[in-house]
Amino acid sequence: MKKILSLLLALVPTATFLPAQITSSTFGMMEARHLGPGTMSGRITDIKGVESDGGKTIYIGTAGGGIWKTTNAGASFKPIFDKYVQSIGAIAVDQKNPKILYVGTGESNMRNSVSIGDGMYKSTDGGDNWTKIGLDSTEHISKIIVDPANSSVIYVTAPGALWSDSKHRGLYKSTDAGKTWEKILFISEKAGVADVEIDPGNSNILYATSWEFRRYPYAFNSGGSGSGIYKSTDAGKTWKELTNGLPKKPFGRVAIALAPSAPQNLWAIVESENTGLYISSDAGETWKQQSATSNIVSRPFYFSTLEVDPKDPKRVYRPATGFSYSSDGGYSFADASNDGGWVHSDMHALWINPANTNLMYVGTDGGVYFSLDRGATWKFCNNLPVGQFYHVSADTQEPYRIYGGLQDNGSWVAPSAFPGGVLNGNWQAIMGGDGFWVQPDATDPDFAYAEYQGGNMSRINIKKGTSVFIQPQAAAGDEKLRYNWNTPIVTGSKNIANLYAGAQYLYKSTDHGASWTKISPDLTTNDKRKQEQEKSGGLSMDVTSAENHCTIFTISESPLDENMVWVGTDDGNLQFTTDAGKTWTNVAANYATAGIPKQTWVSSIEPSKYDKNTVYATFDNHMYGDHQTYIAVSNDMGKTWMKFESKEFTGFAHKIKEDVVNKNLLFAGTEMGLFASVDGGKEWFRMKNNIPWYSLVRDIKIQEETNDLLLATHGRGIIIVENISPMRTITPEVANNDVVLLNDKPVTLTMGKYSGQFPNASGDWNGGVSSVITPIQYYMKERANTIQMEVYDKNGKLLQKLSPSNRKGYNKVVWNQRIAPPKTAKGGNQVEMAAFSAPQVLPGDYVIKMKVNGKEYSQTIKLLHDEKNKEFTIQDRELQYKTGMELYEMNERLAKLVDSINVTQTLLKKNIDSASNKKTKTLLQDYWNKLEEFRLTLVPPMMKGTGDLKRLRSDISEVYGAVVGQEARPSNLQLQRAEVLKTELAKAEQKNEELKQQFEKKVMEAIAKEKMKKAEVKRTKDK
Amino acid sequence: MKKAKFLSFLIAAFFSLSFVKAQTADEIAAKYVDAIGGAENWKKVNSMVQTGSMSVQGADVSVVRTVLHNKGSRQDISLMGMNGYTIITTTEGWNFMPFQGQTAPEAMTADDLKESQDELDAQGSLLDYKAKGHSVELLGKEDVDGTDCYKLKLTLKSGRVETMFIDAKTFLLVKVITVRKANGQEMEFATTFSNYQKLPEGIIIPMSISVPLGPGFSADFSVTKVEVNKAIDESIFKPAK
Repeated sequence: MKKILSLLLALVPTATFLPAQITSSTFGMMEARHLGPGTMSGRITDIKGVESDGGKTIYIGTAGGGIWKTTNAGASFKPIFDKYVQSIGAIAVDQKNPKILYVGTGESNMRNSVSIGDGMYKSTDGGDNWTKIGLDSTEHISKIIVDPANSSVIYVTAPGALWSDSKHRGLYKSTDAGKTWEKILFISEKAGVADVEIDPGNSNILYATSWEFRRYPYAFNSGGSGSGIYKSTDAGKTWKELTNGLPKKPFGRVAIALAPSAPQNLWAIVESENTGLYISSDAGETWKQQSATSNIVSRPFYFSTLEVDPKDPKRVYRPATGFSYSSDGGYSFADASNDGGWVHSDMHALWINPANTNLMYVGTDGGVYFSLDRGATWKFCNNLPVGQFYHVSADTQEPYRIYGGLQDNGSWVAPSAFPGGVLNGNWQAIMGGDGFWVQPDATDPDFAYAEYQGGNMSRINIKKGTSVFIQPQAAAGDEKLRYNWNTPIVTGSKNIANLYAGAQYLYKSTDHGASWTKISPDLTTNDKRKQEQEKSGGLSMDVTSAENHCTIFTISESPLDENMVWVGTDDGNLQFTTDAGKTWTNVAANYATAGIPKQTWVSSIEPSKYDKNTVYATFDNHMYGDHQTYIAVSNDMGKTWMKFESKEFTGFAHKIKEDVVNKNLLFAGTEMGLFASVDGGKEWFRMKNNIPWYSLVRDIKIQEETNDLLLATHGRGIIIVENISPMRTITPEVANNDVVLLNDKPVTLTMGKYSGQFPNASGDWNGGVSSVITPIQYYMKERANTIQMEVYDKNGKLLQKLSPSNRKGYNKVVWNQRIAPPKTAKGGNQVEMAAFSAPQVLPGDYVIKMKVNGKEYSQTIKLLHDEKNKEFTIQDRELQYKTGMELYEMNERLAKLVDSINVTQTLLKKNIDSASNKKTKTLLQDYWNKLEEFRLTLVPPMMKGTGDLKRLRSDISEVYGAVVGQEARPSNLQLQRAEVLKTELAKAEQKNEELKQQFEKKVMEAIAKEKMKKAEVKRTKDK
Repeated sequence: MKKAKFLSFLIAAFFSLSFVKAQTADEIAAKYVDAIGGAENWKKVNSMVQTGSMSVQGADVSVVRTVLHNKGSRQDISLMGMNGYTIITTTEGWNFMPFQGQTAPEAMTADDLKESQDELDAQGSLLDYKAKGHSVELLGKEDVDGTDCYKLKLTLKSGRVETMFIDAKTFLLVKVITVRKANGQEMEFATTFSNYQKLPEGIIIPMSISVPLGPGFSADFSVTKVEVNKAIDESIFKPAK
């Protein structure tokens, strides 16, 4: 007992002396930039609006990008769910208290790439704050209904787990606004509940559809005896199955809808041997099949949306592959036109504004569209950056370009930076279909490799817009080639001219895909039981290459040796060659001994650039119902493996990335977050620096020229963390210091990029402006209470006071590399640029002095001229500085001159008012008038309205602003102009002197006389 | 085995006692008021004049903020010899920003004035907040730039909502997010506070107030002088003619 107590006591002091911990907040100031784009968006899963505000407030649920809220009917959106699981299944607004929201996480469009959720969330303040309210293990939620008659009653449908049996599925009900839940309809561990409807006139009447379904890594099945349609007339206490007029069982997925204005009318799309549209006009008691177009019955497992106009019971909407609408109660349908622009196919959500039923919003696999004419035509919302990238690559141009492929949205290229920010128009589509790997050809910047699903790959000439199909074909004696949905096409890390592609065999090309060599045998398990894809789908055939299996999934050439290539397959093999493919070694059995399940997808392999024996890999076992994070390292070329462990990890692993400078810095991307380690994988932390905490991070790259970290997210587009070098330098040892200035690397002087382009009128997503000037950087162990920073030249002259941030961890503050702006002459209300402009300093050493909580720190920072800039030589810079400083001083001289005029005028004014002698008054007024006339040649007057008046101040400001504001040698005329203005300034100073000569003595005498007179009068009075 | 279990129980109990003691919104509000000098000292504050400056791209902007408790507030800004101001009283509000081309003061809309009424409180919103008609709600803890904070939602009598982040160790205010409604739109402003100093009157106030504009950029108001309970001429709460 005593021992325990002393142990406990010992625990206390150690806790206070722990070394500084490096966590996400250490690097919180490295805020990520969201490049988007908004030009192609991502899969939308639900849309719900607030009825009482006329439809201005709308919530958009996405497949992997959280929830976005608009309060202006779609003019702008903001994300409101960035701290939680990003896959959204369903949203409900309590229309009686519209600040109350319910969200079910885990999308239910059960395609191969669907993500999962972790239950229900509730907000009581319109999405600002969220509370988790249960159903944690449901994985997928498809619909939430708040009983219109009683806000405490909530129904939630959980189709449940996709990859495994589960008892956490069915229809759930809460009668206490989400505090507790009761399962009120349960079919089996294989069948959940997919859809529910409530009779708005009688809340006791409910309709629900159950669904039996299952995915395997190599097959999908929709349908089974567990699927059916049920009705309850006692608010879910008892249920009866509806069958009269419905097709023969088994069913697959069933979408059901009722007409809110005439709720005895029901529609159901029933997946079965005879999939069709069924209509009931007697509250489900009897049904009749109605002929339907292919769009009505297309892919029922994927398209389960069916909506009826809130007011018009004849107006029925079926968003599916395309958008169909009926005006006669579902007996005939028409399809939307593309007159408002192409509408992305594959639709999953529709919200009709009840206040104006002409206005509706549809959610597709490529974002949100709105219609003003009941769905006949549509306009795209180009400001939702929820694209679902699979991979990201970058080239080495300046600015570097970003390449990536997206789920259902093709393959794209964009510059990483653009003056004013990267906009939708900066993105260039280079291939259609589903996009995956897009690789720049590092040997020729005009070319890139891209593909669509199932390994259909091409070499693209980006400049010319041409493409050549280069997919490796089966040779005599080969088995039929098996290409993964997301087939790897990868260029060499050691030899950039190498190009690899994988089916079950590995192919290599050294001539840009014009010819290929098969450099491996079948590297997969070639398990024939996993290759019956043509039977996939269940009741409806669904063969899309999404289930292709026993394929190569990842390929990596060692950055140290081009003959060493690692390959991972989707059925668990991890193989490598050290002789460019002559021989192969399979190390699958070795990783399994480290606690990683066999037959997982080997999702990424990262051969180290520091040691040929070291290799990192990630393993994804979620298709067997196991969502754990498997990330491991081997230091003996795959013989033994060590699994990384961290309490922080969530989500199955997609990618491990080793830093290119610091071998202890690692990044890992999973289905639920980006993680980093600064100690070689011992400790990990979740990165939250403006990155949604549970982002689906599919791929990670480091662009080596800029040190930018690039993330391919499956739901938030491309995310860039600019310049990760602080993560390299702030090692655990460095972090133990109170304050560290981190500016030991020379910095190149720059003025940045022009930003005077025309405003972005289209309101599309702006990918943010990349930082151009290298900031002053420092680390602080604790948040500072007081902090000051000043920049001095090497002679100790103060140049500028800065506004440094005081946060714990890494900090940065931008010094614009200039001195402080000059004092400019006062007067009028015309704003002159000179007051905000200052010459850029010359190359050389400058001293940063920082005072943190009273203690001083300093560091010398070296600024360099950009020798690469041929348009601006060091001689140009020196002349610019000299001219700039001359004009700077002219600004200050003029300010002094005007100040002196102002002082004199104030004095005159005072005495004019008090003067009793008329002659004195006239004299003073005369001087004041002369000064005023003169002053108004120097500065503009106070103006009403808009004015751009040319006076000496504005003339100096104009040429000064131009000279100091650009990286250029001052032009001949700018130099002449500066001289002319200098002469004018001297003349003005001269003129002031003249006026002084003319008036000062006389005026002073007159004022003195007045004073004497006043004193005399006072004396007389006093007597 | 038994011992190990007991130990872990004991450790859990120890930690729960000392670290996980539940705090209510009320307790945090009270601790905050204590941390900034205590209710007694703050109740004596009738007026406050804060003089300071802001730096905009290296150019100095001087700022004077005057509050006369429950009567009026005025903020004067001068830049390049131009003087602008914002005035709020219980019945009227004025804006005059010549740098934006205004030539005469403009009256605030009734909505803006209503939203701004809480700025007349020289003693801070959390002091006697219930009596003032405000309410607070504890939204849990949150990391603010590396500092562990309590997240407190303050709903002011005017309807304005402020989310306050109070340092869990010092109970000083680190950051406030204010949502302001204007003309049917909502805008969010984040403000951070530091450099807390004790004044002779016993109250403790932040001398640095910063509005982040983006990573590496911020607008910083640094207070150089604070005058408490100086006589205020109420005529300053009328716009100049």
